[in-house]
Amino acid sequence: MSEDNFQAHEIRDVIKIQYKYTMGGQSKFFIELKENKKLLGTKCTNCGKTWMPPRINCSECYEPAEWVEMKQTGTIKVSTIVWYTTSAFIQSVPYGIAFIQLDNADTGLLQGIFSENLVPSKIKKGERVKAVFKRREDREGKMTDFFFVPEDEYEMWISKPEYEGSA
Amino acid sequence: MSNRVAIIGVGITPFKARYLDKTYFELAYDATKLALEDANRNGAEITHKDLQSTVYGIYNELFERQFMPDIFTNSYLGMNDKPGTRIASGGATGGYTVRMAFAEVASGLSDLCLCIGLEKCNDCYDEQTGTTTPEVLNAIAYSADLTYEYPMGMMAASSYVSMVNAHYEEFGNPTEEQMAYVSVKNHGNATLNPKSQSPMKITVEDVIYSRIICYPFKMLDCCLYSEASAALILASEQKVKELGIEKPIWITGVGAANTDCFIGNRESIGRLYSNIEAAKAAYKMAGLDYNKIKDQIDVAELHDAFSGQEVISYEELGFVPFGEGGPWIEKSFEKPGEGPWINGELPCCPSGGLIGCGHAVGATGIMSTGEAALQIRGDAGKHQVKIEKGRAIAHSIGGPGAAYAAIIVMANEEGLKKP
Ligand SMILES: [Zn+2]
Repeated sequence: MSEDNFQAHEIRDVIKIQYKYTMGGQSKFFIELKENKKLLGTKCTNCGKTWMPPRINCSECYEPAEWVEMKQTGTIKVSTIVWYTTSAFIQSVPYGIAFIQLDNADTGLLQGIFSENLVPSKIKKGERVKAVFKRREDREGKMTDFFFVPEDEYEMWISKPEYEGSA
Repeated sequence: MSNRVAIIGVGITPFKARYLDKTYFELAYDATKLALEDANRNGAEITHKDLQSTVYGIYNELFERQFMPDIFTNSYLGMNDKPGTRIASGGATGGYTVRMAFAEVASGLSDLCLCIGLEKCNDCYDEQTGTTTPEVLNAIAYSADLTYEYPMGMMAASSYVSMVNAHYEEFGNPTEEQMAYVSVKNHGNATLNPKSQSPMKITVEDVIYSRIICYPFKMLDCCLYSEASAALILASEQKVKELGIEKPIWITGVGAANTDCFIGNRESIGRLYSNIEAAKAAYKMAGLDYNKIKDQIDVAELHDAFSGQEVISYEELGFVPFGEGGPWIEKSFEKPGEGPWINGELPCCPSGGLIGCGHAVGATGIMSTGEAALQIRGDAGKHQVKIEKGRAIAHSIGGPGAAYAAIIVMANEEGLKKP
């Protein structure tokens, strides 16, 4: 039953849980990213499919997959530019994200696309991109340790003091 | 082997931006009461005490600010000491919940099952900006992979837009105009549905010049998050006879599939394989033909969380060949008897869908199923469409990269005949 002149009582609250979670079998990917600016994928010992993000087991064959170093160049499969988003990212708009197929990968990796000229025509399907890393002291062993830029902007991005190219 | 299963009662609360006067379980109570009243108008004489089991569709603990919200709902609905199970499958929660409630009755576990979806998202609130929506979107974004995807700023719209953009690259459609027609249609249909949150008479230009959300989706291409509950009462054939139900709506097909939640792992990003597999399975079970489905059903309630996704669904669900979804809606504008419009050859989302009604995630797919059932019962109200074949479908998708899909096929007595 709804009452006349209903007055709602609202309670302010936050749900917060802290973690220190293990990346398990994928740990090596994050360690190599942080320590050596390498992007490691995995390759199935049976069917040869490469997994990126890596999986130490092939979900197709149920056989183990081995670590392989992935190329740091690739091609945009699909992209978008975000102008309105979640409370966690609303301060960062506009930002570009894309699924990128690294040159020796079979799958597409979701990553941020940085560009001096962030327009749909610049980060479209087929655009060649290259990985740029945060400098050592800023790398935490997280996906945010690196991003991709259009190949023709690569030198400009790695000339910034806070970023580095691959070794 | 299995029991035939019918929808005997439908209860849907209004979809609203916010219910300040109701909690999630109070909304569920309202929907249950409405569904019982509807079943009783349909020949039954039952109360909640006659319901033997419940299947709950509730998507997001962060919305309800409660883990296991189903058990608290179970208490409030007076369902103690009976079985209750919760389903959570992202935006497809509703469709999957109908599938599991169907299974309970078909298997004989229950003869009279309450299938209820609920969601109350707009209690989320971002103190810093003093707004609700970005915090709601954040609660949803936690459904992306939290290590590989969430930190990139991935969210519902950017996930769906990836599929739509890839589809455009592959097939040349949907264009921005073709997507806008979906928004025009569904906001317009919602003006006939008193329970909708976003009834609007708008033009293609209104959509195209609305605020950019994530290229090329604009504000009016996107559904709004909503608060609501929707309930169905499902009965076995024996119970239908025993209760003397006048207009049972039979569930003749259920199909579901989960495609890879990592969009980048998919063979083609521009295609939702889960939609295709779920549709084929549901139609096959119902004795219908994927390639002729447009001529075998009267109405479809689709999962139009984003306008472009509805266009792609026309193709994936078999209404039109791949690449022809955009032209199908664009060329049929203001041409009665054609396309997916409310007076078209196959009305899609006459209720207004998610874009028109709103998206109360766990409730949405159950609302869609209930709306489709009411259509072929002839009880849809002002948005009633012409029923000739006696068959309808409801479609739910969701989760990271819309990996989950569930499709429900329904028929009235006439629709049970072979097409
Ligand atoms: Zn393999």
